[in-house]
Amino acid sequence: MNAKVAKQGGSKLWLIIFALLSVIGLACWVLQLTKGLQLTNLDNNNCWGLYIIGFMLFTGIAAGSLIFSSSAYLFQGMAEYKPFTRIAAFVGAIGSVVAAGLFIIVDIGNPERVWNIILSANIESPMFWDTVILAAYVVIGIVFTRQLIMVEQGEKEEKALYGISLVAFIAGLLVTVTSFAFSMQVARPLWNNPVEPLSFLAAALVAALALLIILFAILNKSGYIEISNEKLSKLGKLAGAFLAVELMVVFGEAAIGLYAGAGDEYKILNWLVLGKGAPLFWIELIAIATGVVLLLNKGTLVAGAGVGILAIFMIKYTLLQAQLLNPLLSYPGPEGYVSGQGIYLPSIIEIGLAVGIIALGCLLVMIGLNKLDLGANTNQSLDKHRLGARSEQA
Amino acid sequence: MRYGMAIDLKRCIGCHACSVACKSNNNLPNHIWWNKVLTVGGEGMDTASGTYPNAKMQYVPMNCQHCENPACVKACPVGATYKREEDGIVIQNYDKCIGCRMCMVACPYSARSFNWSKPEYYLEHTLGDIDAPVHQYNVVEKCTFCVNRIARGAEPACMELCIGRARYWGDLDDPNSEVSKAIQGRNYVKMLEEKGTGPSVYYLT
Repeated sequence: MNAKVAKQGGSKLWLIIFALLSVIGLACWVLQLTKGLQLTNLDNNNCWGLYIIGFMLFTGIAAGSLIFSSSAYLFQGMAEYKPFTRIAAFVGAIGSVVAAGLFIIVDIGNPERVWNIILSANIESPMFWDTVILAAYVVIGIVFTRQLIMVEQGEKEEKALYGISLVAFIAGLLVTVTSFAFSMQVARPLWNNPVEPLSFLAAALVAALALLIILFAILNKSGYIEISNEKLSKLGKLAGAFLAVELMVVFGEAAIGLYAGAGDEYKILNWLVLGKGAPLFWIELIAIATGVVLLLNKGTLVAGAGVGILAIFMIKYTLLQAQLLNPLLSYPGPEGYVSGQGIYLPSIIEIGLAVGIIALGCLLVMIGLNKLDLGANTNQSLDKHRLGARSEQA
Repeated sequence: MRYGMAIDLKRCIGCHACSVACKSNNNLPNHIWWNKVLTVGGEGMDTASGTYPNAKMQYVPMNCQHCENPACVKACPVGATYKREEDGIVIQNYDKCIGCRMCMVACPYSARSFNWSKPEYYLEHTLGDIDAPVHQYNVVEKCTFCVNRIARGAEPACMELCIGRARYWGDLDDPNSEVSKAIQGRNYVKMLEEKGTGPSVYYLT
């Protein structure tokens, strides 16, 4: 019991840490709002950076979580994960969507005008589609989480979940649409191909499953849920398989681009694989390969999940700058418009803000875990959990 | 009616006068260039390619191409950047722009600039035309074909200082306009035409 008390104290400590990091992030944002986006390491060529990576990563986690949760009610093979769908749905709908939304808010120059996306919408713009999808994730995620809790508390039949599960599943698949902001740009040959939507879907599943593996492992240890190693390692295998898809995409892009020996794609891939971007590319490749191996291996599952998330981060990181730093017209011009100036590394402010947003997401998830009925899988274990809590108070 | 420009690459000497004319007439903030004269040559601006005695230097003035099918207009989530129906000019409503830079990602010509900081100027007083645009913080801007000047019958500022008289301007739909006559009978390149943007700037070669 002492151990449990210590654990509770530990979770309180994490709450405080996440809250502090969120405040630091807020301070960075205030600074950025007053001094402008010049505090970032972005420029007219590399005009999207860490914030957009964060957006891609967390929309992916949101989508992947929705796919995971809904799959349990749609597919027999995933039914064993029903007890854990509430956590996943909450992580996806609240934690990740809030983080993804905030990453866009801090990225844009005039956040006070963000309403123009609705008031003055251009329905042709992929950025508008992203907004619709993100808004849909909030609504679907909240409804889904609520219905899952109602079923858990016996207020609703499990059969009634079919409809919302189907909606959540399709919404999750639509993460492919978030790739359109990239894949539909004729100006960007590296992105302008049909594998990009699929890569976004695979990345979403890897990131979500990896995050859930880590979260489930932590919650399993703390007694919040009980999940067997078999169930966890099956998730690891799924994540590993999807990460292997990303490995093929990265190999395919590199091979196809380099084989040409000249041209727009060659220029980009040459920069990435053999040129200034090479350190990033090789970190990316090693992270993906290591992630696949570790995820497929039962004993190294959690480490594999961590490396898997790093791999997805690196995929998005190189995707952005390999293309943005190598525009179609790369003739030298005046200062501020010269391409090929080395690699993009985020500034301290960008990192502080990103960490703050992620911490806020973690904070929301922790609060959800504490306040909502997300954890226990059967009434029996629910009682056990509550009993545990009561005896702790005593 | 469709406004367009022809730039004779054989006449361009790379003096950057059009860039400066654009910058001062539009009172552009420090570090912002709507009209850049790019060097097709070495690694830096105004450097030659090749080795002596076979070194070569070629310039390409680059501004917004005022495309017929502008990728930036499609990309903008709020319709802040749009093509004028009456004359095909692509312009930007600064008050609407949320500063997401989607248009910069969409533009194949890297023609757009973002105000990363509060507009600052080298001089204490404003430069350029009385009706020069007011520059905003945190928005994207680019060449407007000098909408303010052409509204009162003047030509875009870059036309005026060109020493080599390399630029021609006018209505592409009118066969008797200066620009149409300049293009007639000449070989020309439309930059990155294969991207389907339909640029309104003709590079005479």
